[in-house]
Amino acid sequence: MISTDVLTSYIRKAMPDASVTVTDRTGTMDHLMVRVVSDAFKGKNLLDRHRMIYQSLDEPMKDGRIHALELKAETPEGS
Amino acid sequence: MGNPIDDEIQAEIKQHKILIYGKGTKQMPMCGFTRETVQFFEKYGFPFEVVDVLQNPAKREALSKMTNWPTLPKVFINGQFYGDTDILDPMEAKGEVEPLLKTAFGK
Repeated sequence: MISTDVLTSYIRKAMPDASVTVTDRTGTMDHLMVRVVSDAFKGKNLLDRHRMIYQSLDEPMKDGRIHALELKAETPEGS
Repeated sequence: MGNPIDDEIQAEIKQHKILIYGKGTKQMPMCGFTRETVQFFEKYGFPFEVVDVLQNPAKREALSKMTNWPTLPKVFINGQFYGDTDILDPMEAKGEVEPLLKTAFGK
Protein backbone atom coordinates (compact mmCIF):
# COMPACT_ATOMS: atom_id res chain seq x y z
CA MET A 1 0.00 0.00 0.00
CA ILE A 2 1.25 3.46 -0.92
CA SER A 3 -0.40 6.87 -0.82
CA THR A 4 -0.85 8.99 -3.93
CA ASP A 5 1.34 11.71 -2.34
CA VAL A 6 4.24 9.36 -1.60
CA LEU A 7 4.06 7.78 -5.06
CA THR A 8 3.95 11.22 -6.69
CA SER A 9 6.98 12.36 -4.73
CA TYR A 10 8.99 9.33 -5.95
CA ILE A 11 8.16 10.20 -9.55
CA ARG A 12 8.89 13.92 -9.07
CA LYS A 13 12.36 13.09 -7.72
CA ALA A 14 13.14 11.89 -11.24
CA MET A 15 10.79 14.19 -13.17
CA PRO A 16 10.14 17.40 -11.18
CA ASP A 17 7.49 18.70 -13.61
CA ALA A 18 5.46 15.48 -13.59
CA SER A 19 1.73 15.59 -13.20
CA VAL A 20 0.69 12.26 -11.68
CA THR A 21 -2.77 10.66 -11.55
CA VAL A 22 -3.18 7.50 -9.50
CA THR A 23 -6.18 5.16 -9.87
CA ASP A 24 -6.67 2.41 -7.30
CA ARG A 25 -7.80 -0.70 -9.20
CA THR A 26 -8.58 -3.03 -6.33
CA GLY A 27 -9.37 -0.80 -3.34
CA THR A 28 -6.12 -1.82 -1.66
CA MET A 29 -3.82 0.90 -3.05
CA ASP A 30 -1.25 -1.64 -4.26
CA HIS A 31 -2.69 -2.47 -7.71
CA LEU A 32 -2.44 0.89 -9.38
CA MET A 33 -2.96 2.64 -12.64
CA VAL A 34 -0.59 5.56 -12.86
CA ARG A 35 -0.69 8.25 -15.52
CA VAL A 36 2.33 10.52 -15.74
CA VAL A 37 2.51 13.67 -17.84
CA SER A 38 5.94 15.24 -18.18
CA ASP A 39 8.15 17.15 -20.60
CA ALA A 40 10.87 14.62 -19.78
CA PHE A 41 9.13 12.13 -22.12
CA LYS A 42 9.68 14.30 -25.20
CA GLY A 43 11.57 12.42 -27.90
CA LYS A 44 11.42 9.15 -25.94
CA ASN A 45 9.57 6.05 -27.14
CA LEU A 46 7.00 4.33 -24.93
CA LEU A 47 9.40 1.65 -23.73
CA ASP A 48 11.88 4.24 -22.51
CA ARG A 49 9.14 6.38 -20.95
CA HIS A 50 7.92 3.41 -18.94
CA ARG A 51 11.49 2.51 -17.97
CA MET A 52 11.87 6.03 -16.54
CA ILE A 53 8.76 5.60 -14.40
CA TYR A 54 9.74 2.09 -13.26
CA GLN A 55 13.18 3.37 -12.28
CA SER A 56 11.69 6.19 -10.20
CA LEU A 57 9.40 3.68 -8.44
CA ASP A 58 12.07 1.02 -7.95
CA GLU A 59 12.02 1.31 -4.14
CA PRO A 60 8.26 0.93 -3.50
CA MET A 61 8.08 -1.83 -6.14
CA LYS A 62 10.93 -3.80 -4.57
CA ASP A 63 9.69 -3.49 -1.00
CA GLY A 64 6.19 -4.55 -2.03
CA ARG A 65 4.26 -1.33 -1.38
CA ILE A 66 3.31 -1.47 -5.05
CA HIS A 67 2.28 -4.92 -6.21
CA ALA A 68 0.98 -4.26 -9.71
CA LEU A 69 1.32 -1.24 -11.89
CA GLU A 70 -0.31 -0.18 -15.11
CA LEU A 71 1.31 2.85 -16.73
CA LYS A 72 0.46 5.65 -19.09
CA ALA A 73 3.15 8.15 -20.05
CA GLU A 74 2.39 11.31 -21.99
CA THR A 75 3.87 14.68 -22.77
CA PRO A 76 1.89 17.86 -21.95
CA GLU A 77 1.18 18.15 -25.70
CA GLY A 78 -0.56 14.78 -25.53
CA SER A 79 1.95 12.76 -27.53
CA MET B 1 28.23 -15.09 -23.80
CA GLY B 2 28.33 -18.42 -22.08
CA ASN B 3 25.69 -17.70 -19.45
CA PRO B 4 23.37 -20.71 -19.75
CA ILE B 5 20.24 -18.79 -18.68
CA ASP B 6 20.89 -16.04 -21.25
CA ASP B 7 21.52 -18.69 -23.91
CA GLU B 8 18.25 -20.41 -23.00
CA ILE B 9 16.34 -17.10 -23.29
CA GLN B 10 17.95 -16.26 -26.64
CA ALA B 11 17.02 -19.70 -27.97
CA GLU B 12 13.39 -19.27 -26.84
CA ILE B 13 13.17 -15.79 -28.36
CA LYS B 14 14.49 -17.17 -31.63
CA GLN B 15 12.16 -20.18 -31.59
CA HIS B 16 8.86 -18.32 -31.01
CA LYS B 17 7.71 -15.40 -33.15
CA ILE B 18 5.46 -14.26 -30.32
CA LEU B 19 6.77 -15.07 -26.87
CA ILE B 20 5.36 -14.05 -23.50
CA TYR B 21 7.34 -14.51 -20.31
CA GLY B 22 4.72 -14.47 -17.61
CA LYS B 23 3.31 -15.88 -14.43
CA GLY B 24 1.43 -19.12 -15.06
CA THR B 25 0.56 -20.81 -18.34
CA LYS B 26 -1.57 -19.97 -21.35
CA GLN B 27 -4.36 -22.18 -19.98
CA MET B 28 -3.94 -21.02 -16.39
CA PRO B 29 -2.44 -17.55 -16.06
CA MET B 30 -1.55 -16.78 -12.45
CA CYS B 31 -1.60 -13.01 -12.78
CA GLY B 32 -4.11 -10.57 -14.24
CA PHE B 33 -1.56 -8.93 -16.51
CA THR B 34 -0.41 -12.26 -17.92
CA ARG B 35 -4.05 -13.15 -18.60
CA GLU B 36 -4.62 -9.81 -20.34
CA THR B 37 -1.58 -10.41 -22.52
CA VAL B 38 -2.75 -13.92 -23.50
CA GLN B 39 -6.17 -12.46 -24.40
CA PHE B 40 -4.48 -9.69 -26.38
CA PHE B 41 -2.72 -12.19 -28.65
CA GLU B 42 -5.62 -14.67 -28.88
CA LYS B 43 -7.51 -12.04 -30.92
CA TYR B 44 -4.95 -12.12 -33.70
CA GLY B 45 -4.97 -15.87 -34.31
CA PHE B 46 -1.21 -16.25 -34.70
CA PRO B 47 0.52 -18.95 -32.65
CA PHE B 48 2.19 -17.67 -29.49
CA GLU B 49 4.06 -19.22 -26.60
CA VAL B 50 3.85 -18.47 -22.88
CA VAL B 51 6.87 -19.35 -20.77
CA ASP B 52 6.09 -19.50 -17.05
CA VAL B 53 8.89 -17.98 -14.99
CA LEU B 54 6.94 -17.65 -11.74
CA GLN B 55 9.08 -20.32 -10.00
CA ASN B 56 12.34 -19.33 -11.67
CA PRO B 57 13.79 -16.22 -9.98
CA ALA B 58 17.19 -16.60 -11.68
CA LYS B 59 15.59 -16.47 -15.12
CA ARG B 60 13.36 -13.55 -14.10
CA GLU B 61 16.44 -11.65 -12.97
CA ALA B 62 18.28 -12.44 -16.23
CA LEU B 63 15.27 -11.28 -18.26
CA SER B 64 14.95 -8.04 -16.30
CA LYS B 65 18.62 -7.29 -16.83
CA MET B 66 18.48 -8.12 -20.53
CA THR B 67 15.46 -5.89 -21.19
CA ASN B 68 16.02 -3.22 -18.52
CA TRP B 69 12.37 -3.83 -17.60
CA PRO B 70 11.43 -4.85 -14.07
CA THR B 71 7.98 -6.40 -14.43
CA LEU B 72 6.22 -9.43 -15.91
CA PRO B 73 4.83 -10.19 -18.39
CA LYS B 74 7.48 -9.44 -20.97
CA VAL B 75 6.58 -9.75 -24.63
CA PHE B 76 8.95 -10.49 -27.50
CA ILE B 77 7.79 -10.28 -31.11
CA ASN B 78 10.10 -11.49 -33.85
CA GLY B 79 13.05 -11.37 -31.47
CA GLN B 80 12.41 -7.84 -30.30
CA PHE B 81 11.24 -6.71 -26.88
CA TYR B 82 7.88 -4.92 -26.76
CA GLY B 83 7.27 -4.56 -23.02
CA ASP B 84 3.70 -5.42 -22.04
CA THR B 85 0.12 -4.46 -22.90
CA ASP B 86 0.78 -0.90 -21.64
CA ILE B 87 2.94 -0.61 -24.77
CA LEU B 88 0.96 -2.93 -27.05
CA ASP B 89 -2.48 -1.37 -26.41
CA PRO B 90 -1.47 2.10 -27.70
CA MET B 91 0.33 0.41 -30.61
CA GLU B 92 -2.85 -1.47 -31.41
CA ALA B 93 -4.88 1.75 -31.26
CA LYS B 94 -2.57 3.16 -33.92
CA GLY B 95 -2.99 0.02 -36.05
CA GLU B 96 0.64 -1.01 -35.63
CA VAL B 97 0.25 -4.48 -34.15
CA GLU B 98 -1.30 -6.41 -37.02
CA PRO B 99 1.30 -5.35 -39.63
CA LEU B 100 4.05 -6.18 -37.13
CA LEU B 101 2.65 -9.69 -36.60
CA LYS B 102 2.08 -10.22 -40.31
CA THR B 103 5.67 -9.29 -41.02
CA ALA B 104 6.87 -11.59 -38.24
CA PHE B 105 4.98 -14.52 -39.78
CA GLY B 106 5.86 -13.59 -43.36
CA LYS B 107 2.25 -12.90 -44.34
